[in-house]
Amino acid sequence: MLKDITLGQFFPGDTVVHRLDPRTKLILVVVYIIALFQASGWVSYAAVTAATAACMALSHIKPGNIFKGLKPMLFIIVLTALLNIFYTDGTPVIPGWIITWQGIARAVQMILRIILLITGTFLLTYTTSPIALTDGLDILFGPLKKIKVPVHEMTIMMSMALRFIPTLIEETDKIMSAQKARGADFETGSLISRAKALLPILVPLFVSAFRRADELAVAMESRCYHGGEGRTRMKRLRMAGIDYAALIIGAAFLAAMIVMKKFGI
Amino acid sequence: MRDGVCLEKESPAADGASQAADAVIRFEDVHYTYPGYDTETLCGIDLEIKKGSFVAVLGHNGSGKSTLAKLTNAILVPDKGRVLVAGIDTADEERVIDVRRTVGMVFQNPDNQIVANVVEDDVAFAPENLGVEPAEIRRRVDEALKQVGMYEMRMHAPHLLSGGQKQRVAIAGVIAMEPGIIVLDEPTAMLDPQGRHEVISTVTKLCRDKKMTVVLITHHMDECVRADRLIVMSAGKIIADGKPAEVFADVELMESEGLTVPETTRLLYDLRKAGMTLPGEELDVEGCAEEIAQGLRL
Repeated sequence: MLKDITLGQFFPGDTVVHRLDPRTKLILVVVYIIALFQASGWVSYAAVTAATAACMALSHIKPGNIFKGLKPMLFIIVLTALLNIFYTDGTPVIPGWIITWQGIARAVQMILRIILLITGTFLLTYTTSPIALTDGLDILFGPLKKIKVPVHEMTIMMSMALRFIPTLIEETDKIMSAQKARGADFETGSLISRAKALLPILVPLFVSAFRRADELAVAMESRCYHGGEGRTRMKRLRMAGIDYAALIIGAAFLAAMIVMKKFGI
Repeated sequence: MRDGVCLEKESPAADGASQAADAVIRFEDVHYTYPGYDTETLCGIDLEIKKGSFVAVLGHNGSGKSTLAKLTNAILVPDKGRVLVAGIDTADEERVIDVRRTVGMVFQNPDNQIVANVVEDDVAFAPENLGVEPAEIRRRVDEALKQVGMYEMRMHAPHLLSGGQKQRVAIAGVIAMEPGIIVLDEPTAMLDPQGRHEVISTVTKLCRDKKMTVVLITHHMDECVRADRLIVMSAGKIIADGKPAEVFADVELMESEGLTVPETTRLLYDLRKAGMTLPGEELDVEGCAEEIAQGLRL
């Protein structure tokens, strides 16, 4: 079950999408999300789907990896679909039924919207190394430092968290095996008893996470970490021609989506 | 230590002016007690470590050897006495960064000292903190990774490396700071024999080829054999200090401390006790065999 966690996973590669500056990709994802929420008719949904598919093809990310990431969202997707099917007014599919044509159409559109939203953000994390991503965020939100927003602290926390996800997953697996070896049962029983069974995993996990955090802080300090002030970077980010091209395409796409919304298609 | 009271030390280290010049680390009557504890962890340490030497510090858990390491890097500051690193008092808060860039520290748990998701980004962490120019960071990172033999794996994710490899990455992360001194606090305690070998030979190479001062804290006898100087600690005091062969030769002292001596030393000691005349002290197997052969001829 822990192997399914795809959060922050990165698939190294050398495609156009991988080469884009992380800042470009971050901006494009925001543009993409705004564009996605402009979609109202079938034509505009088809346009967003096509654009997403094109990006996936360009980045050589296998659809299987996207589906794996969607799995944990299945419950929300199904729930949204059901609610929309049953609670939309309109012409019933069969006279007297609660299910309407409009309801089915909305359900399909909602499913598409959620799937496209997740796919778009996955494309960002799958093609950008976490370090590049946090560097991009650090620069993009840099101006906020002027109004005392701790941007550097937040981005370094984020990169540390991403760094320790695999370590903590490994540790959780170890603790679970140790508890299982002593007869703990995580798989059977009611929801409440299963939740209770998780406690003997969580307590040691937290204790060890705090100890790790403490040791890490000492190790960082002894390597002269003293906040973001006066810090340099080995890899400087540079915007290239393809970045500007990608941003222009993104802007054009958003404009097209807004126009389509005006026409209601 | 009885009721935490330290006995007066017999004689302070005989330090001539000439000796003081090449001492990169200097402990002057250092006392340290952890907050919330009654007993002193270190009771009056006087110590000088010479530039370019390989010093091993041996002792049991709780002997104060890790505390000694942390004092060299201003992670801890002495309660009494002072620690000088390249002439800088570690208690001087203004110069903490100068102390830390002079003394690089490698810790026990390799997982808890690697900060980045990619090996080379981790090695770049310290020079980035020091505000070094990007091109210079690149050069230092490549050089450091080559020195520890991890250059080929620079794009790997740290959590996929073996323990010995992680620890070598941690060493590279420290030498990218270009410190003159590197202090390793039980770097092999969590490693398998293969990993231990990798780390110790990397460290020995750094000292011999790069003229770095190395302080290795350990509780494995065999790791001390190659050191220039061996310090044995017990209950917050230095109980033996000298060349490894000389220190190990005092088998009674070592055993009273519950420390085992290398098998070669043990053999020579037992033969001598049985009445054989053996003049020298040898630590490696060939030397020991030679010694016994000579002893038999006598």
